Amino acid sequence: MSRTVHIMARLTGWLALAALGLASTPRAHAEEIVTSSPIAIVVHRDTAVDNLSLEELRSIFLANQQFWDNRMRITLLVRAPQSDERDFVLNRIYQMTEAQFRQYWIAKMFRAEVPRGPKIVFSTDMTLELVLAIPGSISFIRADAVTDDVKVVRIDGRLPSEAGYPLQ
Amino acid sequence: MNSTVIIRFLACLSCALAAQSAAAQGDNAHGGGAADAQQYHFLGFGDIGYLSRDGTDEDGFVIGQVVAHLVASMGESFSVFGEFSATARDTEYATEVERLIVKYDFSDRFKLSAGRYHTPIGYWNSAFHHGAWLQTSVSRPEMVRFGSEIVPIHFVGVLLEGNLPSGDLGLNYKAGFGNGRHANIARAGDAGDINGDKAWMLQLGARPRKYHAFDIGVGVYNDEIALPLTADVEETTVSAYAAWSREQPEVILEYLHSKHEAVGGGASGTTDGWYAQFAWRLSGKQRDWKPYARLEKTEIDASDPLLGGRGLDYDAGIVGARWDFNPFAALKAEYRREEFGNAGRENNFRLQLSFVLTQL
Repeated sequence: MSRTVHIMARLTGWLALAALGLASTPRAHAEEIVTSSPIAIVVHRDTAVDNLSLEELRSIFLANQQFWDNRMRITLLVRAPQSDERDFVLNRIYQMTEAQFRQYWIAKMFRAEVPRGPKIVFSTDMTLELVLAIPGSISFIRADAVTDDVKVVRIDGRLPSEAGYPLQ
Repeated sequence: MNSTVIIRFLACLSCALAAQSAAAQGDNAHGGGAADAQQYHFLGFGDIGYLSRDGTDEDGFVIGQVVAHLVASMGESFSVFGEFSATARDTEYATEVERLIVKYDFSDRFKLSAGRYHTPIGYWNSAFHHGAWLQTSVSRPEMVRFGSEIVPIHFVGVLLEGNLPSGDLGLNYKAGFGNGRHANIARAGDAGDINGDKAWMLQLGARPRKYHAFDIGVGVYNDEIALPLTADVEETTVSAYAAWSREQPEVILEYLHSKHEAVGGGASGTTDGWYAQFAWRLSGKQRDWKPYARLEKTEIDASDPLLGGRGLDYDAGIVGARWDFNPFAALKAEYRREEFGNAGRENNFRLQLSFVLTQL
């Protein structure tokens, strides 16, 4: 074995062993993201959906389901980084870190599975405006910010104000 | 028969475009602006590496592939995907249209497209494409490496894909029809099929809603390959894969079995290939690190009329670590112990800096 390969092989081996050693240490609990108000899932008022299971919601947010039952395209609106709502949704619905979320959408576009990533919104007001304006859109806001302009979807049969609502 | 299928496809695409145009007009009539606008998204991938091989003085830096990926969505359902690469060769850069896909999404169940694809055989070939940054390891498994003769990496034709009504099981399918391998079996028939026999493929998969990081699937691929000096060969490949992409752990298992038979009787033989990759994203302060390992094996019958006698048997053990030091770039170090059918055993070390350019 040449000297360079020999040295590099040892380095790689030590690196991998050290990393595996670190991996065997107890895993820190994933940070539990808590918001002061439950997160409401909101859709355009004309969207023919009233209730979704958490798994169905996850499938929509992952773009594994891209159309509503009436074949209208789903437009996903996601808050920009560094908002409590986004952190909550990444943690509870996507079950991903920020880096994994970014890589997921890059891969999804690169595989030609979606023509575009989620639309990014920068505030609750902007979310409400776009959900109102775009038929087929879906997004998330704090439940105490919901207005009559949008429809709140039940998750697992429950509204944000009800006990057992899964996104609180 | 073939021309009938093509005419039907073109008719279908025409209807889709007409419907798209009508939908766009409808959007305008209602004052909608977002849906009917063209939107473009660019992704760029690249990598720079260092390769050190046992028994040679040719150690050195390597410019890997530079890849541009463009997505254009035109309205709600019509989109174009293009992937273009430049690869360093000894005396030049080789440029290639890796994928060019024109796609119309009717619904989740029916998405029809035409163009040049990475053949949906197994997992890796249609999961990571030419994005070195996307894959955990430095390089692809040998049986699906670019330029491989084991698997037809590309095909040119039409593809129908979508979800199957299966509730939480998340079943999906891909059905393809098009030009198979060229006489140079590492290439697809880009400029036309070299014989009248089209390749076809079917892949069935599942992404259970409850375990959304889990992918499992089986597939079959069939083609008749025209070879310049010998009889045509019928190729049938069955494949199976399972992948768990949550990173703690990340597991990818893939197996394929190909049967090759000389048309009209005569030689026949089989090829078997598999790999198993395991990786683990560390937690806490070490979460930028992901160690990984992979085992690979490819076995080819000497009597195989397509692949026998080419020295493509392969055996390898790989260990490495990936460091995501930046949200858009990773440094990977990989040690490989490989045995090639035609070149014997080799140990080598690879270092790779890979990156992605994106607006996401």
